[in-house]
Amino acid sequence: MTITRVEETHWLAVEDDREVGRGDAACRPDGRMFVSIDAWQGAVFDRLAAAMVADLSTPLYVVVDETDREVRAGWERAGFTTGRREREYAVPTDPRVTGLDAVRRPSAVTIVPAGEAQEALLRVLDRAIRDEVEATVGWQAMPAEVLPRPAGVTIVDPSKYAVAELSGRYVGLIRVAPVTRRPRIGLISVLADEQRRGIARALLAHALGSLHRSGAESVWAEVDESNAAAVALFEGVGARCTGGNLELVRL
Amino acid sequence: MEGTVIECLRNATFTVELQNGHKVLAHISGKIRKNYIKILPYDRVLVELSPYDLTRGRILYRYRT
Repeated sequence: MTITRVEETHWLAVEDDREVGRGDAACRPDGRMFVSIDAWQGAVFDRLAAAMVADLSTPLYVVVDETDREVRAGWERAGFTTGRREREYAVPTDPRVTGLDAVRRPSAVTIVPAGEAQEALLRVLDRAIRDEVEATVGWQAMPAEVLPRPAGVTIVDPSKYAVAELSGRYVGLIRVAPVTRRPRIGLISVLADEQRRGIARALLAHALGSLHRSGAESVWAEVDESNAAAVALFEGVGARCTGGNLELVRL
Repeated sequence: MEGTVIECLRNATFTVELQNGHKVLAHISGKIRKNYIKILPYDRVLVELSPYDLTRGRILYRYRT
Protein backbone atom coordinates (compact mmCIF):
# COMPACT_ATOMS: atom_id res chain seq x y z
CA MET A 1 0.00 0.00 0.00
CA THR A 2 1.23 3.47 -0.82
CA ILE A 3 0.12 6.76 0.66
CA THR A 4 0.39 9.80 -1.60
CA ARG A 5 -0.39 13.42 -0.95
CA VAL A 6 -2.09 14.08 -4.27
CA GLU A 7 -3.09 17.66 -3.46
CA GLU A 8 -2.28 20.17 -0.74
CA THR A 9 -5.26 18.93 1.29
CA HIS A 10 -5.88 15.46 -0.11
CA TRP A 11 -4.20 12.08 0.51
CA LEU A 12 -4.85 8.73 -1.16
CA ALA A 13 -4.08 5.20 -0.03
CA VAL A 14 -3.65 2.87 -3.00
CA GLU A 15 -3.17 -0.88 -3.00
CA ASP A 16 -2.95 -2.99 -6.15
CA ASP A 17 -3.95 0.05 -8.21
CA ARG A 18 -7.12 0.40 -6.18
CA GLU A 19 -8.01 3.29 -3.86
CA VAL A 20 -8.45 1.86 -0.36
CA GLY A 21 -8.62 5.07 1.63
CA ARG A 22 -8.50 8.84 1.47
CA GLY A 23 -7.76 11.72 3.76
CA ASP A 24 -8.77 15.36 3.61
CA ALA A 25 -7.86 18.53 5.41
CA ALA A 26 -9.74 21.82 5.48
CA CYS A 27 -8.90 25.08 7.17
CA ARG A 28 -11.83 26.77 8.93
CA PRO A 29 -12.19 30.54 8.86
CA ASP A 30 -10.84 30.71 12.42
CA GLY A 31 -7.57 29.23 11.15
CA ARG A 32 -7.97 25.76 12.65
CA MET A 33 -7.14 22.80 10.44
CA PHE A 34 -9.71 19.98 10.49
CA VAL A 35 -8.88 16.58 9.02
CA SER A 36 -10.91 13.52 8.08
CA ILE A 37 -10.16 10.00 6.85
CA ASP A 38 -12.28 7.42 5.04
CA ALA A 39 -10.85 3.93 5.08
CA TRP A 40 -12.33 0.46 5.17
CA GLN A 41 -9.60 -1.03 7.30
CA GLY A 42 -7.92 0.11 10.50
CA ALA A 43 -4.43 -0.44 9.11
CA VAL A 44 -5.17 1.86 6.18
CA PHE A 45 -6.65 4.45 8.52
CA ASP A 46 -3.51 4.36 10.64
CA ARG A 47 -1.19 4.77 7.66
CA LEU A 48 -3.20 7.71 6.32
CA ALA A 49 -3.36 9.34 9.75
CA ALA A 50 0.39 8.98 10.20
CA ALA A 51 1.07 10.52 6.79
CA MET A 52 -1.29 13.45 7.38
CA VAL A 53 0.08 14.14 10.84
CA ALA A 54 3.60 14.12 9.42
CA ASP A 55 2.68 16.48 6.58
CA LEU A 56 0.59 19.02 8.49
CA SER A 57 1.41 21.42 11.29
CA THR A 58 -0.25 20.94 14.64
CA PRO A 59 -2.66 21.58 16.20
CA LEU A 60 -4.97 19.44 14.10
CA TYR A 61 -8.66 18.90 14.78
CA VAL A 62 -11.22 16.27 13.86
CA VAL A 63 -14.97 15.89 14.49
CA VAL A 64 -16.35 12.44 15.30
CA ASP A 65 -19.73 11.16 16.38
CA GLU A 66 -19.34 10.23 20.03
CA THR A 67 -20.96 6.84 19.39
CA ASP A 68 -18.58 6.01 16.53
CA ARG A 69 -16.10 4.07 18.63
CA GLU A 70 -14.13 2.71 15.70
CA VAL A 71 -13.29 6.07 14.14
CA ARG A 72 -12.65 7.65 17.50
CA ALA A 73 -10.25 4.86 18.42
CA GLY A 74 -8.43 5.37 15.13
CA TRP A 75 -7.81 9.02 15.83
CA GLU A 76 -6.78 8.28 19.40
CA ARG A 77 -4.19 5.83 18.05
CA ALA A 78 -2.87 8.76 16.01
CA GLY A 79 -2.42 10.85 19.15
CA PHE A 80 -5.66 12.82 19.18
CA THR A 81 -7.46 13.51 22.45
CA THR A 82 -10.88 14.96 23.23
CA GLY A 83 -10.87 18.75 23.17
CA ARG A 84 -14.57 19.44 23.64
CA ARG A 85 -17.98 17.86 23.32
CA GLU A 86 -21.05 19.22 21.65
CA ARG A 87 -24.43 17.83 22.68
CA GLU A 88 -27.18 17.39 20.15
CA TYR A 89 -30.65 18.12 21.49
CA ALA A 90 -34.13 17.36 20.21
CA VAL A 91 -36.17 20.31 21.43
CA PRO A 92 -39.96 20.00 21.70
CA THR A 93 -41.99 22.91 20.35
CA ASP A 94 -45.34 22.34 22.08
CA PRO A 95 -45.73 25.10 24.72
CA ARG A 96 -47.58 22.63 26.96
CA VAL A 97 -44.42 20.51 26.98
CA THR A 98 -41.82 23.27 27.09
CA GLY A 99 -43.68 25.33 29.67
CA LEU A 100 -42.87 28.38 27.60
CA ASP A 101 -46.53 29.37 27.26
CA ALA A 102 -46.19 30.82 30.76
CA VAL A 103 -43.03 32.79 29.97
CA ARG A 104 -43.38 36.53 30.44
CA ARG A 105 -41.17 38.72 28.33
CA PRO A 106 -38.76 40.90 30.30
CA SER A 107 -40.23 44.36 30.68
CA ALA A 108 -39.65 46.76 27.78
CA VAL A 109 -38.35 43.94 25.58
CA THR A 110 -40.09 43.32 22.25
CA ILE A 111 -39.53 40.30 20.04
CA VAL A 112 -39.24 41.18 16.35
CA PRO A 113 -40.28 38.12 14.31
CA ALA A 114 -38.04 36.54 11.68
CA GLY A 115 -38.18 38.45 8.42
CA GLU A 116 -39.08 41.75 10.09
CA ALA A 117 -35.78 42.72 11.68
CA GLN A 118 -34.00 45.77 10.31
CA GLU A 119 -30.93 44.42 8.59
CA ALA A 120 -28.61 47.27 9.60
CA LEU A 121 -29.46 46.92 13.29
CA LEU A 122 -29.20 43.15 13.04
CA ARG A 123 -25.70 43.39 11.61
CA VAL A 124 -24.66 45.79 14.38
CA LEU A 125 -25.89 43.29 16.98
CA ASP A 126 -24.20 40.37 15.24
CA ARG A 127 -20.90 42.29 15.15
CA ALA A 128 -21.19 43.23 18.82
CA ILE A 129 -21.87 39.63 19.85
CA ARG A 130 -18.94 38.35 17.81
CA ASP A 131 -16.64 40.98 19.34
CA GLU A 132 -17.72 39.80 22.78
CA VAL A 133 -16.96 36.19 21.86
CA GLU A 134 -13.54 37.11 20.54
CA ALA A 135 -12.79 39.06 23.72
CA THR A 136 -13.91 36.25 26.05
CA VAL A 137 -14.22 32.53 25.28
CA GLY A 138 -12.94 32.84 21.71
CA TRP A 139 -13.97 30.82 18.68
CA GLN A 140 -12.38 27.58 19.83
CA ALA A 141 -15.44 26.80 21.93
CA MET A 142 -17.90 27.64 19.17
CA PRO A 143 -19.39 25.25 16.65
CA ALA A 144 -18.57 25.76 13.00
CA GLU A 145 -22.07 27.13 12.55
CA VAL A 146 -21.14 30.35 14.32
CA LEU A 147 -17.91 31.00 12.51
CA PRO A 148 -17.76 33.79 9.96
CA ARG A 149 -17.78 32.76 6.35
CA PRO A 150 -15.02 33.77 3.96
CA ALA A 151 -14.89 37.52 3.26
CA GLY A 152 -16.21 38.17 6.76
CA VAL A 153 -19.86 37.45 5.93
CA THR A 154 -21.62 36.37 9.10
CA ILE A 155 -25.30 36.91 8.30
CA VAL A 156 -26.09 35.09 5.10
CA ASP A 157 -29.89 35.30 5.29
CA PRO A 158 -31.27 38.04 7.58
CA SER A 159 -34.82 36.67 7.20
CA LYS A 160 -33.91 33.71 9.42
CA TYR A 161 -33.31 35.92 12.48
CA ALA A 162 -35.79 36.97 15.12
CA VAL A 163 -34.44 39.60 17.50
CA ALA A 164 -35.12 41.06 20.93
CA GLU A 165 -35.43 44.84 20.90
CA LEU A 166 -34.92 47.03 23.95
CA SER A 167 -35.26 50.81 23.80
CA GLY A 168 -34.69 50.94 20.07
CA ARG A 169 -31.63 48.69 19.92
CA TYR A 170 -31.35 45.01 19.26
CA VAL A 171 -29.95 43.08 22.23
CA GLY A 172 -30.46 39.41 21.35
CA LEU A 173 -31.05 37.18 18.39
CA ILE A 174 -32.12 33.68 17.44
CA ARG A 175 -31.59 32.09 14.06
CA VAL A 176 -33.79 29.23 12.94
CA ALA A 177 -33.23 27.24 9.77
CA PRO A 178 -36.80 26.27 8.87
CA VAL A 179 -35.78 23.00 7.24
CA THR A 180 -38.81 20.85 6.45
CA ARG A 181 -37.20 17.57 7.51
CA ARG A 182 -36.33 18.97 10.93
CA PRO A 183 -35.86 22.66 11.70
CA ARG A 184 -32.68 23.67 13.44
CA ILE A 185 -31.83 26.40 15.91
CA GLY A 186 -28.50 27.55 14.56
CA LEU A 187 -27.74 30.32 17.02
CA ILE A 188 -29.20 32.03 20.06
CA SER A 189 -27.31 34.83 21.73
CA VAL A 190 -27.81 37.90 23.93
CA LEU A 191 -25.45 40.81 24.53
CA ALA A 192 -23.41 40.31 27.70
CA ASP A 193 -24.84 43.33 29.53
CA GLU A 194 -28.40 42.14 28.91
CA GLN A 195 -27.96 38.51 29.91
CA ARG A 196 -29.67 36.80 32.88
CA ARG A 197 -32.89 38.76 32.32
CA GLY A 198 -34.83 36.06 30.47
CA ILE A 199 -34.28 37.47 26.98
CA ALA A 200 -32.89 34.22 25.54
CA ARG A 201 -35.81 32.32 27.02
CA ALA A 202 -38.23 34.81 25.47
CA LEU A 203 -36.54 34.44 22.09
CA LEU A 204 -36.72 30.66 22.42
CA ALA A 205 -40.40 30.82 23.39
CA HIS A 206 -41.11 32.95 20.34
CA ALA A 207 -39.22 30.71 17.91
CA LEU A 208 -40.54 27.41 19.26
CA GLY A 209 -44.09 28.79 19.37
CA SER A 210 -43.87 29.83 15.71
CA LEU A 211 -42.52 26.44 14.71
CA HIS A 212 -45.24 24.65 16.67
CA ARG A 213 -47.94 26.67 14.92
CA SER A 214 -46.39 25.78 11.57
CA GLY A 215 -46.59 22.08 12.40
CA ALA A 216 -43.06 21.23 13.55
CA GLU A 217 -43.10 18.94 16.58
CA SER A 218 -39.44 19.29 17.42
CA VAL A 219 -36.32 21.08 16.35
CA TRP A 220 -32.70 20.29 16.94
CA ALA A 221 -29.88 22.28 18.37
CA GLU A 222 -26.23 21.72 19.20
CA VAL A 223 -24.81 23.04 22.45
CA ASP A 224 -21.25 23.04 23.73
CA GLU A 225 -21.19 20.93 26.86
CA SER A 226 -19.20 23.56 28.76
CA ASN A 227 -21.78 26.27 28.03
CA ALA A 228 -23.75 25.83 31.27
CA ALA A 229 -26.22 28.64 30.53
CA ALA A 230 -27.14 27.20 27.13
CA VAL A 231 -27.42 23.66 28.50
CA ALA A 232 -29.73 24.92 31.27
CA LEU A 233 -31.81 26.91 28.79
CA PHE A 234 -32.48 23.94 26.51
CA GLU A 235 -32.84 21.28 29.18
CA GLY A 236 -35.17 23.63 31.05
CA VAL A 237 -37.65 23.43 28.18
CA GLY A 238 -37.53 19.65 28.02
CA ALA A 239 -34.87 19.23 25.35
CA ARG A 240 -33.61 15.65 25.13
CA CYS A 241 -29.96 14.88 24.44
CA THR A 242 -29.90 12.55 21.44
CA GLY A 243 -26.17 12.30 20.89
CA GLY A 244 -23.18 14.44 20.39
CA ASN A 245 -20.02 15.25 18.53
CA LEU A 246 -16.53 15.09 19.90
CA GLU A 247 -13.90 17.50 18.72
CA LEU A 248 -10.56 15.74 18.99
CA VAL A 249 -7.30 17.62 18.87
CA ARG A 250 -3.66 16.69 18.35
CA LEU A 251 -1.39 19.32 19.83
CA MET B 1 -24.89 4.26 -5.83
CA GLU B 2 -27.97 6.20 -4.84
CA GLY B 3 -30.13 5.07 -1.97
CA THR B 4 -32.60 6.13 0.68
CA VAL B 5 -31.93 6.12 4.41
CA ILE B 6 -34.55 3.97 6.07
CA GLU B 7 -33.22 3.75 9.60
CA CYS B 8 -30.74 5.48 11.89
CA LEU B 9 -28.92 2.92 14.01
CA ARG B 10 -26.53 3.15 16.91
CA ASN B 11 -22.83 3.71 16.46
CA ALA B 12 -23.46 6.42 13.84
CA THR B 13 -24.58 3.90 11.23
CA PHE B 14 -27.60 3.83 8.94
CA THR B 15 -29.59 1.30 7.00
CA VAL B 16 -29.74 2.47 3.39
CA GLU B 17 -31.92 0.92 0.73
CA LEU B 18 -30.21 1.15 -2.64
CA GLN B 19 -32.05 1.74 -5.89
CA ASN B 20 -31.67 -1.94 -6.74
CA GLY B 21 -33.53 -2.87 -3.56
CA HIS B 22 -30.51 -4.11 -1.62
CA LYS B 23 -30.03 -2.84 1.89
CA VAL B 24 -26.62 -1.92 3.23
CA LEU B 25 -25.27 -0.86 6.57
CA ALA B 26 -23.59 2.49 6.02
CA HIS B 27 -21.68 4.98 8.08
CA ILE B 28 -21.02 8.56 7.10
CA SER B 29 -17.88 9.91 5.50
CA GLY B 30 -15.42 12.03 7.40
CA LYS B 31 -16.22 15.02 5.20
CA ILE B 32 -19.93 14.83 6.05
CA ARG B 33 -19.13 14.62 9.74
CA LYS B 34 -16.62 17.46 9.45
CA ASN B 35 -19.29 19.66 7.91
CA TYR B 36 -21.98 18.75 10.45
CA ILE B 37 -24.34 17.48 7.75
CA LYS B 38 -27.22 15.61 9.35
CA ILE B 39 -28.54 12.38 7.91
CA LEU B 40 -32.14 11.49 8.69
CA PRO B 41 -34.59 8.78 7.59
CA TYR B 42 -35.95 9.31 4.06
CA ASP B 43 -32.87 11.29 2.99
CA ARG B 44 -31.61 10.43 -0.47
CA VAL B 45 -27.90 9.74 -0.32
CA LEU B 46 -24.95 8.72 -2.46
CA VAL B 47 -23.28 5.58 -1.10
CA GLU B 48 -20.02 3.85 -1.98
CA LEU B 49 -19.86 0.16 -1.21
CA SER B 50 -17.00 -1.53 0.56
CA PRO B 51 -14.88 -3.65 -1.79
CA TYR B 52 -14.41 -6.05 1.11
CA ASP B 53 -18.06 -6.48 2.09
CA LEU B 54 -20.90 -5.50 -0.24
CA THR B 55 -23.33 -5.24 2.66
CA ARG B 56 -21.36 -2.30 4.05
CA GLY B 57 -21.17 1.21 2.68
CA ARG B 58 -20.22 4.79 3.28
CA ILE B 59 -22.51 7.78 2.76
CA LEU B 60 -20.61 10.31 0.67
CA TYR B 61 -23.32 12.86 -0.09
CA ARG B 62 -26.82 13.83 0.97
CA TYR B 63 -28.99 15.10 -1.84
CA ARG B 64 -31.11 18.15 -1.25
CA THR B 65 -34.76 17.36 -0.73
